Amino acid sequence: MTFFLQQLISGISIGAIYSLLAVGYALVYSVYNFTNWAFDAFMVTGAFAAFYAISLFFMPFWMAMVFSILVTSGLALTTEVVAYRPLRARQAPRLFMMISAMGASMAVVNIANLAFGGAFRKFPQVAEGSIRWGGVSIGRMDLFAAMFSFVVLALLWYFLERTKLGLGVRASALDMVTAGIMGINNNRIAVIIFGISGVLSAVAGVFYGVKYAVYPYLGMVTIKAMIGSIIGGIGSLAGAVIGSLLLGVIETLISCYVSSVYRDLISFTILVVVLLFFPSGLMGTKTVDKL
Amino acid sequence: MGYLSTICVLGCINIIAVLGMAVLTGYTGLFSIGHAGFMAVGAYMSAALFLQWHVPFLLAVPIGGLIAGASSFIIGYPAFRGRGKLRGDYFAIATLGFSEAVRLLFNTTYPVFGGAYGLNGIPAFTTLPVAIGVTLLALLGAHNLMTSQHGKVCIAVGQDEVAAQMMGVNLLRTKMSALFISAVYAGIAGGLFGFYMTYLSPNNFGIGKSSDLLAAVVFGGMQSLVGPLVTAFLLVAMPEVLRFLTDWRLVIYGVLFVVVMIYRPQGLFGYREMKFDWFWHLVARFRNRKQISANEDES
Repeated sequence: MTFFLQQLISGISIGAIYSLLAVGYALVYSVYNFTNWAFDAFMVTGAFAAFYAISLFFMPFWMAMVFSILVTSGLALTTEVVAYRPLRARQAPRLFMMISAMGASMAVVNIANLAFGGAFRKFPQVAEGSIRWGGVSIGRMDLFAAMFSFVVLALLWYFLERTKLGLGVRASALDMVTAGIMGINNNRIAVIIFGISGVLSAVAGVFYGVKYAVYPYLGMVTIKAMIGSIIGGIGSLAGAVIGSLLLGVIETLISCYVSSVYRDLISFTILVVVLLFFPSGLMGTKTVDKL
Repeated sequence: MGYLSTICVLGCINIIAVLGMAVLTGYTGLFSIGHAGFMAVGAYMSAALFLQWHVPFLLAVPIGGLIAGASSFIIGYPAFRGRGKLRGDYFAIATLGFSEAVRLLFNTTYPVFGGAYGLNGIPAFTTLPVAIGVTLLALLGAHNLMTSQHGKVCIAVGQDEVAAQMMGVNLLRTKMSALFISAVYAGIAGGLFGFYMTYLSPNNFGIGKSSDLLAAVVFGGMQSLVGPLVTAFLLVAMPEVLRFLTDWRLVIYGVLFVVVMIYRPQGLFGYREMKFDWFWHLVARFRNRKQISANEDES
């Protein structure tokens, strides 16, 4: 039982990181109806920014986090302005946005690979040791990462549900054209959304880097977050969190009870099965083309 | 010579796979980022048919292609059936998931397919004439397909699904057959690839391969056959010519994706199609000139 609990907790701790990114996917999707493939680029940038802030400039962890958030949000906004805004301006098909996003991600990730090299770097440890509680041990860093992620998600929820700007974002998500007619500046909404995406992916990148290692292709994990957001229902923020936690737990349980070899196979199979047979996921609504 | 023929063979294989993508994307408007999965099915199946059951090469490759085509029903039928038509971009993600699942399945199946060690000992039967011959056949097939009734129906579906359906087009059948044909093309390309490299590893068919195929279709133009054809060959040949840029290849691809989408979404060749009018014009002009000079001689 304690073994199972232990696995459950490590599943939730990885699921928390997935859920940050999954919420980013859901947020962009809910407003712009396209999958932002550039999240892996944002995440890699966040991880590298924090890594170099600590190892080169000896910044304390919180300062490195702030630095990473600033750099990543900057990149996210640049991507928005360069790669998405011109397409949105002429109302290009969603598919074009997706290809453009894939291009942006390919370019940034491979520039990182060329500039920093493909080596795996160990993140300087910020919180060592673990807490033991009734036979279950939790790494301090895992605990901190999960807590921090949930705090960020709670702040995001507060922003979206309780502030005027958040109301604007939700109005755009409902209907961008009508919101524009009602006097909401759509470009400002875009800045807010991609700024938030930058923050979310920077936090996810830093914690993922701390948990495993920092390397240019660490962004590959964003595909898991995408699977999480699809399980939860495309475009639903709450669904994204639940789906990601579920995926994290499922992956951990499979790695320990079946074999870690089958972990990714099962994840991708879940993706295909959910998309094909339950396309609206747990909480989503509009995934099917209606007349 | 060996070096040049390698480029040509790999270019031909790429062309066949990209033709399959173009048949699907260019005409039906469906978009796949997982064609490497169908290539993997074709490659592994034809190699296994040859090695395990001693099916001759010329039979093993088409059968491998057909198996790849059959595997497309796994995602084709649920995605296109009934009321629950999957949105275009989510169909693309489903194909990505499918191709990764296929790759990981081969990666973990040790009997017959060799798992992560890869499958070796495949004889090198794909020579340059074979590759060129199959490519020409594939080209002829795709061209005929697209000028046939089926091709017109596909274009109608790509232009406006609802209107096509009102005209009595069976959407499910059209889309599934387009996906089937494109998967067969990818499977045959995969089979030839296996018999050329003599060694198959699941890593040959990762997301990178799929995005190479996608790049050819995007750069060449999503609405033509000849565009992807030219870019498919260029994308194999260019890295060889520009060796010093090898490291930057993916960066350049990425930047080009964005630039093409913003400035020239119709691709390099746009809506221009494989026409040989210019050739006949040239012949006609040549004949005219001959006639004129003949007339002058008479007078």
